[in-house]
Amino acid sequence: MNRFLWIVIALTGLVVVVVAVGVSSAMMPGAWKKPALAKGYSGMVPAEAMLRVPVSGIYPGGNSNGLNPDMQNPLKNDPDAVIRGMKDFENFNCSGCHMANGGGGMGPALSNDTWIYRSSPANIYLDIAQGRSAGMPAFGAMLPDRTIWELVAYIQSLSNKPTPTFGVTTSAAPDSAPEEQVPAGQVQSPTPWNYTEPTPPNGEKNDAGDQRPDAPLPPGAEQAKPPLQLVTQ
Amino acid sequence: MKKHLFSAILLLLSGTALAQDNAVLQGDDRQWPLAGKDYSLTRFSRLDQINAGNASRLQVAWTFSVGSNHGQEAAPLIVDGVMYVVGAYPNELFALDATTGQMKWKYSPHVDPSAQGEACCDVVNRGASYDNGKIFYNTLDNHTVAVDAKTGKEVWATKLGEITRGQTLTMAPLAAHGKVFVGNSGGEMGVHGWVTALDEATGKIVWRAYSVGSDKDVKIGPRFKPFYPDARGKNLGITTWPNGRWQSGGGPVWGWISYDPKTNLIFYGTGNPGPWNSNQREGDNKWTATIFARDADTGDAIWADQINPHDMYDYDEINENLLLDLPINGQVRPVLVHPGRDGFMFVIDRKTGQIYSADKYDTQTSILSYDIRKGRPNYNPALTPLLGKNVRGICPASPGAKDWQPTAYSPKTKLLYIPHQHLCMDYKTSEATYIPGTPYVGATVNMYAGPGHYRGEFAAWDLTGRKKVWAIHEKFPVWSGTMVTAGNIAVYGTMDRWFKVVNATNGKLLYQFRAPSGFIGQPVTYQGADGRQYIAMLSGVGGWAGALANAEIDPRVRNGALGYTGAVTDLPSVTSGGSTLMVFALPKGGAT
Repeated sequence: MNRFLWIVIALTGLVVVVVAVGVSSAMMPGAWKKPALAKGYSGMVPAEAMLRVPVSGIYPGGNSNGLNPDMQNPLKNDPDAVIRGMKDFENFNCSGCHMANGGGGMGPALSNDTWIYRSSPANIYLDIAQGRSAGMPAFGAMLPDRTIWELVAYIQSLSNKPTPTFGVTTSAAPDSAPEEQVPAGQVQSPTPWNYTEPTPPNGEKNDAGDQRPDAPLPPGAEQAKPPLQLVTQ
Repeated sequence: MKKHLFSAILLLLSGTALAQDNAVLQGDDRQWPLAGKDYSLTRFSRLDQINAGNASRLQVAWTFSVGSNHGQEAAPLIVDGVMYVVGAYPNELFALDATTGQMKWKYSPHVDPSAQGEACCDVVNRGASYDNGKIFYNTLDNHTVAVDAKTGKEVWATKLGEITRGQTLTMAPLAAHGKVFVGNSGGEMGVHGWVTALDEATGKIVWRAYSVGSDKDVKIGPRFKPFYPDARGKNLGITTWPNGRWQSGGGPVWGWISYDPKTNLIFYGTGNPGPWNSNQREGDNKWTATIFARDADTGDAIWADQINPHDMYDYDEINENLLLDLPINGQVRPVLVHPGRDGFMFVIDRKTGQIYSADKYDTQTSILSYDIRKGRPNYNPALTPLLGKNVRGICPASPGAKDWQPTAYSPKTKLLYIPHQHLCMDYKTSEATYIPGTPYVGATVNMYAGPGHYRGEFAAWDLTGRKKVWAIHEKFPVWSGTMVTAGNIAVYGTMDRWFKVVNATNGKLLYQFRAPSGFIGQPVTYQGADGRQYIAMLSGVGGWAGALANAEIDPRVRNGALGYTGAVTDLPSVTSGGSTLMVFALPKGGAT
């Protein structure tokens, strides 16, 4: 029991430190400045409550016993939170790893319903604030808690994919993903799963059309010469 | 053949002291001591037991798992009957009996798992270098290590960079002339790119040269004699950037380093400028996307060619520079062959930096032509990435006509073998914020197949005739390296799991084998203790091109993986990640 208390105290301290450092809202693109210290954790959710958010789904003894796996986003009823979260996602370079629309790259996809560290809004909050050992930076060192909850709202919107099932099938024939999102270069929306189009076979769709590389090269452009022989296998 | 014999005699003279200099070893084709086989990065072997006449009878000799299902880009090394192979993160090094596959030892570094979040394009490693009894390689979290080749014991480990600044190490270092040459990765993180020379014996840093910054940092001094006027001037690594932007200007050195013992020079290319959004960095952005020649002992820059000034499309020029002697205008000259990421085949005088020729080897719409008199590209103004505009039909796409995957040159056929991709893209820029340790990109990218409904190609290029002699179109980008032998075979692998051996003269398919996972590795060949010739290559799809199949990336969002997802949405239906080393040989007694 003593040990448990110490852990709670230590973790409380950690969470407070992690979220205590804020960021200036007028961050200039391209030039990073050391953020001004925010007034601290604004306490949209009490820090002690955050300590009771489990990242495991296993409770020794079978009873969650005061842990709160379903804690909700305090901005749940703020319709603009998602829009602000979308901007935050770009401004703080979340999009650099998780990519536009959360398709995934350096960091895992956020456009689906797969979660490594569980799916509740508070779990996503803690992922952002604390970081994760496989490479997620601890953004609590930079972002005020309101910004993090906005990001959580946006990420939940990104992950709201149509017709979720328990498992996912991947196959070429029949094509298991006959539809895909409209690329973010064409449509930018906080609800990208509202914009889908047929998936082109073998990545080929986009090589046709008048704006595409099949179009004649501009005057003065050198053409790459075709091979003397095309070997078929 | 004479040279081969000579090397063999040298080997015999050196007796049991098989902790030898790789300068000698690379002439002995039973071995493969460097990722590029030799200092010139030819990836050519004089072994001919396996040849175009019998390759159809190849069989799997043995296999081995490196235990990490990320992209496997490393070239196995073979020295004195032992194979050394590095896996993707967490970068374990395995020593195996090269003939039987029996494991001798493994070395497991304690790599910081957070480094995975700083590596742009899967957590790959491109291999090791052997010299004088030690294996040298890099770990993702910025350590260069030296391991005793016999015992597997750590000799030294030197930390060269910081993941909190976005730096990682993925390249295969080059050990030569008593030094280990290492360059950093992180072109998507706004790192300060550099190449560093370490002492082979102690791991101490001998010199470091940055790719951007002051002349002092870049090691530009009185010995610097660039061929082209745009490279002459003071502190161009600062003055060709908007105020202070050079500090997050990139220019990492994550590709290949070659070495010319005659002139004691190393040659390498630097990566893209940061951020990708070119609107934030007016100017040439020197010395990004640049080929450097440097003194191996001091690091002094001798010449530099900025291949893509003010790069707009992520055309890194880290691609390998093969050191060859080729006839140029009727005279044999020492040249450097650089199959450019930007889609041009450059032949450059390695003494002066003069570009002799630059020919398109794939569809190219973003650069109209390359002006070899000025040493500059003529960019296509219609495809300038204006801020916020979705610019369509840019070819090649960001990975270029060819990325890291190394070519091979056969002095026998006089052809260069080029594994590469054939992709175009839509590209939309946005303002990027520099936050150390996070990405610094500012581009939303969507890639797709280039004209002709194929996405990869394996081509043979005539360097003197300056033309593509033959080509094999592949469904997916060809992201593996290649090698070629005196047996007139060229070897590569495809992302849809085919290991392929083709006739080096005409490209005819001689043998293929369906592997556990797609290939993005580098094939090597060697002779076993039993006198048989073997070919080894790691399977395990991944890297930028194949991360979609081994990581948690959504194939239905085309902009994922810096836009590569769009080009390979169907890859997860043909392969998953893997980690299996494949070793092939002719049946026992089957060599004819």
